[in-house]
Amino acid sequence: MEESQVAAIDEFHTQLSTNNSSPLVSKLKKLLYKRMLIGVNDGRYFLGVFHCIDKQGNIILQEAVEYRITSRSAPGLADQRCLGLILIPAACRSSCHVDCSIEEKMSLMSLS
Amino acid sequence: MATNHSGVQGEVDASSSPPHFISPGDGCVWADASSLIDAACNDLQEGDLVHGENFSLFAAMSALEIMDPKMDSGIENGYCTVEEAIEAGAAPVPLSFDRTVDVQRTIDVMDHLFSCEATWHKGSILAQTVFSCIYLLRLERTSPHPILNAYCRIMHATSNEIIKSVSNARTHEEEDLFVMAYGLPLKDEDNERLHAFLHSVEETISRKLRACKAQPSSKKKQVEDVEPLQTNPELEEGYCRALLCRLRFRKYFDLTMRQIRNWQGKGQSMAHKYIITCLAELENMRKNEKFLKSQPHISCKDSPETSTTASGCKAIGFDATLNAKSLSPAPPRAAKIISWHDARLYFEKLLHDFDILCSFSFDPMLENILQFVVQFQKSKPDLVARAYLQLLLIQSGKLYGREFFHEVIARVLLLPDVAKDKAFHQNEFVVQLGQLLMVLLKILCTNSAWQRRKLGKTLQDWSVVSIQLELAYNREFGEAQNSSADEGLHAKVSKRLFLWAQEQTYWIASRFLQLGFELELYSPWEYCMVYWYMSVVFVQLLEKIQLRSIANIDTTRQKGKKKRDNHAKDHSRDAIFSPSCLLLQCHVYLCEGLAMVLAALRNEGSAFKMPNTFNSEHERFIQHFELLLRAHLPEQISFSSFHESILHARVSDVVRCDYFKEIQRITTSLKGSFAEVPEKLSEIRQIEQVAERNRIALNIINQLGASDPSLRVSLELTHHPYFAVVVVKRS
Repeated sequence: MEESQVAAIDEFHTQLSTNNSSPLVSKLKKLLYKRMLIGVNDGRYFLGVFHCIDKQGNIILQEAVEYRITSRSAPGLADQRCLGLILIPAACRSSCHVDCSIEEKMSLMSLS
Repeated sequence: MATNHSGVQGEVDASSSPPHFISPGDGCVWADASSLIDAACNDLQEGDLVHGENFSLFAAMSALEIMDPKMDSGIENGYCTVEEAIEAGAAPVPLSFDRTVDVQRTIDVMDHLFSCEATWHKGSILAQTVFSCIYLLRLERTSPHPILNAYCRIMHATSNEIIKSVSNARTHEEEDLFVMAYGLPLKDEDNERLHAFLHSVEETISRKLRACKAQPSSKKKQVEDVEPLQTNPELEEGYCRALLCRLRFRKYFDLTMRQIRNWQGKGQSMAHKYIITCLAELENMRKNEKFLKSQPHISCKDSPETSTTASGCKAIGFDATLNAKSLSPAPPRAAKIISWHDARLYFEKLLHDFDILCSFSFDPMLENILQFVVQFQKSKPDLVARAYLQLLLIQSGKLYGREFFHEVIARVLLLPDVAKDKAFHQNEFVVQLGQLLMVLLKILCTNSAWQRRKLGKTLQDWSVVSIQLELAYNREFGEAQNSSADEGLHAKVSKRLFLWAQEQTYWIASRFLQLGFELELYSPWEYCMVYWYMSVVFVQLLEKIQLRSIANIDTTRQKGKKKRDNHAKDHSRDAIFSPSCLLLQCHVYLCEGLAMVLAALRNEGSAFKMPNTFNSEHERFIQHFELLLRAHLPEQISFSSFHESILHARVSDVVRCDYFKEIQRITTSLKGSFAEVPEKLSEIRQIEQVAERNRIALNIINQLGASDPSLRVSLELTHHPYFAVVVVKRS
């Protein structure tokens, strides 16, 4: 894809997202750049910087690290490896936590 | 599988807190954001994204997708180790305590392995196909189950044999995953012992089959004291037959593979017999399919198009992910196992290909060998068949494992005695040509795409050697032609050598161009330049063949001491108008005719004009023929020579030249010459049809006028693999 095209699509999306004035979406936006820990169906966890999410709930994490709890290793230990930029489809996401202060946690809980 | 893991670890519940070993930042906590995300996503519009300022969609597209089997190598969907899988009961021995179910499941394992083997042959990884079978990974566990044990052991042996052969032949080209078997428990077993064991298992089942056939009503007392295979007497015969044909297929398939490698002497006829038996057992498997499908206790059935077993049940004891974790060289690829039905068709084709190899006559003449290989490749044989073709032709650097390549060259030059001459086989050019010839034969055994690429590269080497040979010949013998007898022989050898090298170079070039059609590399508007270039190459090839034939005749004349000069002239006439030269002449006419028709249509009408694409016609010309141009095939040819020759083409002129009529004149006489060679006869028939149809099409175009707007002209490769038929329609 041409770079100019990509830039145009980018701009289009930025506009779309700024036009949305839902308070929930604004709250979600505040989570951007925070550390996010996502668990997936097969038991692994991914820890990375929250980078992007779409309507379907697919999440992109930056600088992600994979944690795998192996049955052989001592309890409480996990194998880990760096993966970089990853996309976690909504279908396989089983849990999602963000790293935040207690006040922020309270505010997060208050919404639902 | 996920539930299994969560059960063990108790930590993968969506509502639970995150694992304690991943701690939040200083003074921070983990807050569950799932509900916010779900609620906020509901509020988002279709196509909306929530992202920061540094977001780039382009960069995001390169993100690694988690849980995608092609990208995510760490998916935890299965057991961690083979032992864990066995402990969890994934591969029980016996497969069931109900003996009928046990037999049924054993047959399913055999069938799934059969499908896995075909998938492996078609380019998947051994670890994710055949060795996804837990029984194969831990062979010793199957010892209490003789039938399964025999099948798995022979599977091991055959896989080992095929890997060895394919690695030796090195025909796996881009499919290099094929021979990847590090870390798999592939070990050599004493073949005789294995076959004796297999035979005893087969014998036991045969006895059970005989016993059940001998007692039509099950009430009768058993004739022999034979314990039935399973508990249901009505199913006994069907199951015995199903097992027998599967075991026998494996046995004879293994024997075929072994026989093919050593087929000098009786090997060929033995291999042929085994192939016939294998095909018969495949047929028995097909006949038996109906019985297996009709089993009452089977509940879940796959459709025959996708099922990897004859019965339609899923086989137990397979887990493709086990090896992905334990073996480093197995990339996270999802190997889709082909259906049992397709696997049977694959093995049928493979066996037919092997049978063609069995019919090979170990022809000593190079021309016939090349012809055989090209003919064999026409049926598009798969990797394994091609590997065995190569092993048949070349073994330990010799032709058929018995003849050095300098001897082959000496025979091509019609000077077999010269091979004993030390100076000849140590001559640097002969050494080089011998190696090039061996490489050429190996290349011709590879798949079309790889073959074309390699042929293009080897052309440079052939061209350089033939130019050097010609220069050396001109330098040494250019001035003084008549000297002593000894020098005469040297000159003769040199001359024939360079003429042969040139001829061979043009043969490679023509094969290179032809393969472009097979690989569909040319678009219709480019056919004009392709046929034009092909005609140039064919003309050169024809000329080289004729020159070499005349050079060969010259020597005969010298031998005969000018006794019968007229006779010699007749001989050279015969050589020039030999059937193969005349057939080549047909190719030349077809190429010239097609190139000119297409050029005329371009010049006068609107068809076959270059579309408005990114590349100019000149660039396309370079892209297609760069390797030929670089090898100077022929000298001083360029885009402008093509352009000039087609610039003034007119339909009326092409009609006047009547290339296609000429072809029909030649083919009539050729049919008699090739009466004994069915492949040539069928090609002549194809050429005749192409010529006839094109002649008619050309006349119609001429009558209507190429510029007629209602005229629709298209090209079809329906009658010949690379000579198109011009199709005319009016709209």
